[in-house]
Amino acid sequence: MLAYIIRRIFYLVPVLFVLTVVVFTFVEMLPGNIIDTLVGTEGNNDPEVRKILEKEYGLDQPVYVRYAKWLFRAVQGDFGMSLVTRRPVSVELLSGIPATVYLAVVGISLSMLIAVPLGTIAAVKRNTPIDYTAQVTSLIGISIPEFWFAILCVLFFSLYLGWLPSSGFANPFEDPWASLKFLILPAAAVGFRQAAYTTRLTRSSMLDEMNKEYVDTARSVGLSESKVIFKYTLRNAMIPTITISGLQLANLLGGTVVLESIFAWPGIGRAIFEAILQRDYPLVQAGVLVLGCIVVVMNLLVDLTYRLLNPRVKLG
Amino acid sequence: MTDEANKKGPESTRRKFLTATTALAGAALAGLPGVAGAERKRNPKRGGTVRFGTRDDSVGLDTHRNFIYFVSQPMAGTTGGLLDFDAGMNIVPAIATEWEPSKDLKTWTFKLRRGAEFHNGETIDANAVKWNLERILDPKIGHSFNRSALTDIDRITVDDKFVVQCHLKEPSAAFDSNLVYYPVNLIAPGAVDKADTEPVGCGPFKFKSWKRFDICELVRFENFWETDSEGNTLPYLDGLIGRPKKEDRVRLTALRAGEVDLIDNVAYADAPSFMKDYGKTYDTFPVPQVGTAFIAFNLKNGPFSAKDNPDAHMLRQAAAHAIDHEGIHEAVFNKQGEIAKGFYSKSSPWYGKDIKSWPEFDPDKAKALRKKAKDGDAKLLIIANDSFPYMQQSGELVHAMLKDVGFNVTFEIHPTPVVQDKYNKGTFDLDSSANSYRLDPDGWFSRSILSTAPETMRRHGYKNEKVDQLILAARVERDKDKRRQMYADVDSLINQDLPLVYTHFVSLLQAGTKKLKGYKPAFTGPFQYAGGGMRTAWLEN
Repeated sequence: MLAYIIRRIFYLVPVLFVLTVVVFTFVEMLPGNIIDTLVGTEGNNDPEVRKILEKEYGLDQPVYVRYAKWLFRAVQGDFGMSLVTRRPVSVELLSGIPATVYLAVVGISLSMLIAVPLGTIAAVKRNTPIDYTAQVTSLIGISIPEFWFAILCVLFFSLYLGWLPSSGFANPFEDPWASLKFLILPAAAVGFRQAAYTTRLTRSSMLDEMNKEYVDTARSVGLSESKVIFKYTLRNAMIPTITISGLQLANLLGGTVVLESIFAWPGIGRAIFEAILQRDYPLVQAGVLVLGCIVVVMNLLVDLTYRLLNPRVKLG
Repeated sequence: MTDEANKKGPESTRRKFLTATTALAGAALAGLPGVAGAERKRNPKRGGTVRFGTRDDSVGLDTHRNFIYFVSQPMAGTTGGLLDFDAGMNIVPAIATEWEPSKDLKTWTFKLRRGAEFHNGETIDANAVKWNLERILDPKIGHSFNRSALTDIDRITVDDKFVVQCHLKEPSAAFDSNLVYYPVNLIAPGAVDKADTEPVGCGPFKFKSWKRFDICELVRFENFWETDSEGNTLPYLDGLIGRPKKEDRVRLTALRAGEVDLIDNVAYADAPSFMKDYGKTYDTFPVPQVGTAFIAFNLKNGPFSAKDNPDAHMLRQAAAHAIDHEGIHEAVFNKQGEIAKGFYSKSSPWYGKDIKSWPEFDPDKAKALRKKAKDGDAKLLIIANDSFPYMQQSGELVHAMLKDVGFNVTFEIHPTPVVQDKYNKGTFDLDSSANSYRLDPDGWFSRSILSTAPETMRRHGYKNEKVDQLILAARVERDKDKRRQMYADVDSLINQDLPLVYTHFVSLLQAGTKKLKGYKPAFTGPFQYAGGGMRTAWLEN
């Protein structure tokens, strides 16, 4: 297991290297540059000033030199300074990542808490009103745009009932109760939509597993139905669910820009989005690199989870 | 100060200010201990922490490096300019209590308030002011907007601990307008090392904490120099919490849910229904002009440029006749604010009464002129910046109006770097844009209309010798009425030559809880407003 993990981490290196090259190239190809932002709309577009700023930011050097310098520093954990905010990139990222991780993890957990029991029951009670209800609910969940559901939640729970704040954020370590109140609506907006997908997936996986011979065998030897379902069938059916949820989590960690705007959630999505618009190269580069790492690590964790669910699964 | 009082220019302005300054300011001028040294009276109404939902958030904390938008960024409350302005948009004393230009208008002398200090207790003296101006002028540090307002400065000298002189490259009767908060904002030289993390300014509120896109916490600066008419210290509030919420509806919802006490930028589409449905529950604060929107033509190259098309002016006339200003007023601004025929609205002391209008809306004439003009079928591109919805919506509407009269036109919305790139390369034909309100017309005309201004050359390339002469003459004219007329004449020529078509004044509506008392924003937003705005607001228990 340990050798497998080390090997997977080793594979990270070329993946991330290619990622940085691609991102650097794409950002470089975008029209407009940071100097255009810095010299601003108010004139003073003096070529001398542009030269001074280009030198200050190292933008007077060829792209491969800038990339090599950035990479050299990045492998040492130094992502440089944001060209726009003039603060260390690490500070910018660390100010947004915890809020995003918090929302994504709670949102996915909520989706799993809804989807796994609902999908399982729908499969076990196939073609019954429970199954139809679960299917219709999940279809509605998939069909409703996330932002629209979020706005509905705000209107109902914040404006009409006044139970929850409509937007904002509080640090869970400083004020857990306030933090929970701020979290519920965005987590629900994230969780219910993801739950819609996962419910359908869990149901179809369960149906596949329930048709397999080992299930018939388990029943024939007299095991209780609950034991057959929850101890054997569900564990195997969870593999695709875990895979998709892992990818969903990685996707959410990449930032939910729309939800962050609706709920004024200070996550990494908006920070990277703004950085792209302003051509803040170091922040975009580092942000994508960190998110790339998160996706790769999430994939690794998903693979390791297979093994926990089914020891017969061989890693590597 | 009234127009009448301003009429005679900088010297009479100084006399008026001297008589108008408070007893404490007078004592300060006489060398006696100022506000900081006097017994500080406290208004019994003071108190409360306003939660302010804003559209924008600051990019960074160093107010020299970053552009701190006065309307929508609470960080503006932490700092201030050398001068201030009042509700009538007139320049009034702040850190400088007295100022005057030399006879040749090339040297401006500012006498500073004694006893005024930065939030860390550092004295605001002439050396501190000099250091601030020089730091803003440093191209490695100063934000382009701030820097561009001070480019007239040749050198700064300190004649006395509380007297600073700015020596200009060219004479200017309008230089003092460049030393207000926007763009000059004073920070403590002794705390410059922490300017990016714990800024120390001289405004009514002290910095407490900031997390971008989340929260900005400010607390009252007890030693702020300004007092109310009864001598009570300002500001009244204990503090302020800024909550950036970019989406207009999100801010409105937060106000209605009781999560914030004040919001800025109520969407134009929401304003009429909000006032009708919730006028009894909330107060609304209209600000008539924070800027002026326009459609600019690219005169550097392409079908609208005389360089490439002998009928360029006729084609611009055709486009101008196609623009339905009433349509923009109704569809984009929801009948909030006014249609613009010049740069200044009626609410401004610089409003020009007899500006000759742009070509009236006449689609048939537009069609005829377009057909008659060379390149009338040329492919055109309208661009708009993605930062402000009204720019995009005006662009979309003008796009539809031009199409209606047969122009072959497309419309694109871009982020700032792309728009800047298009300006630099001249790869656009029309631009739906705006300029923020200028305290002195020179700030607009000298920077964006004068043919030799870098911004003019870069963006639209307009050149008219008569316009240039008027702008340059107005710069050195001391009589305000004469200056106002000169600028009105320039706007008339603009409406005739059509380097751009003014469309609408950009108004602003703020809304707040009824508990918020004593609050009235100026065009400068909540903070930079002598005797008003957030300085005189308090929250009722």
